[in-house]
Amino acid sequence: MSENMIVSVSPHVRSGMTTQKIMAIVLIALIPAFAASIVFFGARAIAVVAVCACAAVISEYIFEKITKRPSTIGDLSAVVTGVLLAFNLPVSIPLWMAALGSAVAIVVVKQLFGGIGKNFANPAITARIVMLLAFPTAMTTWTAANTVIHTGAVDAVTGATPLGLMAAGETAALPGLSELFFGQCAGCLGETSALALLIGFVILLCTGVITWHTPVVYVATVFVFTWLIGEDPVRHILSGGLLLGAIFMATDYSSTPSTAWGRVIFGLGAGIITTFIRVWGNYPEGVSFSILLMNILTPHISNWTRSKPLGMIVEKKGAN
Amino acid sequence: MALRRLSGVHAPHRKNTAAVAPVRMPVPAMLTIPMSMHIGAPAKPMVSPGDTVKVGQKIAEAGGFVSSPIYTGASGTVKKIEGVLASGGAYVPTVFIETDGQQEVSETVSPPEVTDLQSFLNAVRESGVVGLGGAGFPTAVKLAVKDLNQIEAVIINGAECEPYITSDTRTMLDDADLIMEGVALLQKYLEVKRIVFGIENNKPECIKKFQELTKGQKGVEVMALPSLYPQGGEKVLIYNVTGRMVPEGKLPLDVGAIVINCTTLAAIARYVKTGMPLIEKCVTVDGSAVKEPKNVIVPIGTPMKDVFEFCGGFKAEPKKVLYGGPMMGISVPDLEQPILKSTNAILAFDKKDAEPPRETACIKCGRCIAACPLNLMPADIETAFLLKDGAMLEKLRVNICMECGCCSFACPAKRPLVQTNKLAKQTLRAYQEAKKAEAEKAKAKEEAKKAEEAKTA
Amino acid sequence: MTKLDNFTKGIIRENPVLVLVLGTCPTLATSTQTSNAIGMGAAATIVLLCSNAAISALRKVIPDKVRIPCYIVLIAAFVTIVQMLVKAFAPSLNEALGIYLPLIVVNCIILGRAEMYANKNTVGDSVVDALGMGVGFTLTLFVMASIREIFGSGAWFGMAIPFLQNFKISIMTLAPGGFFVFGCLIAVVNRIMMKKGKPRRSLGCKSCPCAEACGKASCETEGKGAEA
Repeated sequence: MSENMIVSVSPHVRSGMTTQKIMAIVLIALIPAFAASIVFFGARAIAVVAVCACAAVISEYIFEKITKRPSTIGDLSAVVTGVLLAFNLPVSIPLWMAALGSAVAIVVVKQLFGGIGKNFANPAITARIVMLLAFPTAMTTWTAANTVIHTGAVDAVTGATPLGLMAAGETAALPGLSELFFGQCAGCLGETSALALLIGFVILLCTGVITWHTPVVYVATVFVFTWLIGEDPVRHILSGGLLLGAIFMATDYSSTPSTAWGRVIFGLGAGIITTFIRVWGNYPEGVSFSILLMNILTPHISNWTRSKPLGMIVEKKGAN
Repeated sequence: MALRRLSGVHAPHRKNTAAVAPVRMPVPAMLTIPMSMHIGAPAKPMVSPGDTVKVGQKIAEAGGFVSSPIYTGASGTVKKIEGVLASGGAYVPTVFIETDGQQEVSETVSPPEVTDLQSFLNAVRESGVVGLGGAGFPTAVKLAVKDLNQIEAVIINGAECEPYITSDTRTMLDDADLIMEGVALLQKYLEVKRIVFGIENNKPECIKKFQELTKGQKGVEVMALPSLYPQGGEKVLIYNVTGRMVPEGKLPLDVGAIVINCTTLAAIARYVKTGMPLIEKCVTVDGSAVKEPKNVIVPIGTPMKDVFEFCGGFKAEPKKVLYGGPMMGISVPDLEQPILKSTNAILAFDKKDAEPPRETACIKCGRCIAACPLNLMPADIETAFLLKDGAMLEKLRVNICMECGCCSFACPAKRPLVQTNKLAKQTLRAYQEAKKAEAEKAKAKEEAKKAEEAKTA
Repeated sequence: MTKLDNFTKGIIRENPVLVLVLGTCPTLATSTQTSNAIGMGAAATIVLLCSNAAISALRKVIPDKVRIPCYIVLIAAFVTIVQMLVKAFAPSLNEALGIYLPLIVVNCIILGRAEMYANKNTVGDSVVDALGMGVGFTLTLFVMASIREIFGSGAWFGMAIPFLQNFKISIMTLAPGGFFVFGCLIAVVNRIMMKKGKPRRSLGCKSCPCAEACGKASCETEGKGAEA
């Protein structure tokens, strides 16, 4: 009876959380935004999301097969990347472009750099930027949202995004704040509905998948800086991809700092860059670029914000 | 008292055996008593094969200053003294005693003469008591404080933060009077001004009992601790009680604290009162493979398999057996291993609980960093270790790690972070020694150069 | 090394752009259109031929301490001649290459081959080496430009490819696409070399044109040369 007993290192009991569960919770948190995208943009939203998710999983599987590495598609991280990328695309994007973008996100941004946990940049955001440069017209062709809520606001469903209209100075055609909050405006699939994204935020917070630091500091920074500049801060935080980026992209584990203060600095920097690009830059939306820029700064931020071990003794310099 | 709450993890409590009083098991057929059950020099056997021994008789004397004598908990004949492969991997000289079941008490057992600090410390030394919370540090050495004014607080550790283990809980409920006698001894001989009982709030009966017992007593208080593993860890306990963190490489006494386990204190009080040294332990037997989990009082040296048999045997094939709790316990290769002085639980798990999880890639989620009570960064330590970067390991202070297991517990990728930390400590030590050797070489070269210049000048 | 070996090494084994990683700037800049790429390759090859021959002929005359300025003067002379010829006989190419034509003066391939090969070998060998390197450079430019033009603009040599017009990936003609294709080609060449079983030669710091200026040149003496 006493042979073949297992001898292993402590601890011998582990928490129930696994990588797969974390990814599953993120997917559940994205369901409200998915539902909103179907309501406002129609059934094609399902096709875009499905194509992106499948392309991501297939490209990860093929890459790992070719490079003879163990298959990691079971941890659902490719699905999450695919869905998040889809939420960054307009509903009219040709499906082959969406699939190509997913492949770039998984193979180039994630796998070529070492796979999960080793990518230095957010795969979905970087792929979105690549697609913006690769297919400029397709990525900036916006479809009007389905009119679900009748609020009587002037022309709530034009073809340009709220940020595009703000950048062009056409304030007359802007959707009202309630349209922005519920998501009845033109834009990318997952970014329009603030309500759906906030529900997702609460789900992620309550399950402990993300901490509050990055999203809150990011959005607050944009709010404060746009207000200081003289723009409408509430409109700014409800428009564009800010909430989607702050809640789901800027909280990606491997490309952002892992300590509380690091996350605060990340949110602060991203907020400042987003505001600058939105107000003074050439692009109407700056969230993806600011997240990518902060991703690149993350190793330095991590260096500055390393936890101080309790009880550590720092040797005074010059003690030789 | 603490400025902030230290992190930890909510390990499942599973205190299945807390409600029932411990049961004394019949004397086993053979006792196997290793000579090294404590930190420090192994004890030296005083008996030879063929000698008859009685309960409470000294069979080994302390092997040095940091050491402890060993007594037998059963009467019988010494069968042999030979090296046995212990769970740590080393061969430890072990005294085998064939018991006769008579349990005749030795004549040498008599209450010691305790009149002042020195005689008290001698008594503690002679009692054979070591840290019974699991660490096994000779208590006499811990209490041998040169300057009594250095002691600001003595903390009595009743936290028992590990899952399953309830032996300290039973000590606090059943031997509360002995613990209070121990408190009195500390106040009298060590002139301790402040004694704090640290008890986790998942033991409300213990907290209530000691609050009643210490009511009105000056200098003694009861502090309820959150049920967050590892409240019983020395550094965490001291921080939560005094607000001070023990600096790296230093002892608790350097921040004015001494931590002593409640069972250790009870054992000292028992010796001073009755003269019976440390010969038996109350051990929690639990786990998914054990038929009747309970607390058992066993003589030190009882083989594990006898204890498990007393608890009804196994209801499923035991695939993993631990000394201690699941967070920091050591898994053993066979059931012949004996109950040691520092053992307060043995756990047996069935196949489902025994399989270690498959490790996957680190996703840099930072849960290990959030969980570490000492604010270390296990994810970064693992990266530095894999790169063999001694300088970074020094920056990350991996030497502070107390190997509590919070990081591995929290990790969703099921990575063996504690093991990595242990190995990283070795890498750091090698790096620091190489650095020191190089510095000394450089210094020697400088001095030789200076000597030459002085010669030619 | 046989003369043929000397020539072919510049094509894959010691390809100046993909293995020695020299001359990346003009490579990335002029590989947006295949016609420009061929023009650039040809111009650089001519300059390389002439400069290698001249430097090799003068290798015993030029003092070691002033060799770099001397090489630059020689190379600049040849580039000026080539630039005047291109301006006269192929003005559209001059427009297309723009600043990159005179920048051939500081093209690392030319200076690099002068340092690594021409100043140690005979004129004949240097000419063959230059030819090999030039062909390798042009071929690389051709391949890169073809990929970038076909995927990025749906055309080749300026002629639009009908079924690719709706599938243009404009990022390929921009800098990120250029770097990406560059990286992929280096990976392909590495794979070919690995398959052939020929390990990458460690060329050491000595062969780098900046060896003297760079502080790490001394690490060569400790046996830690830079890997090519």
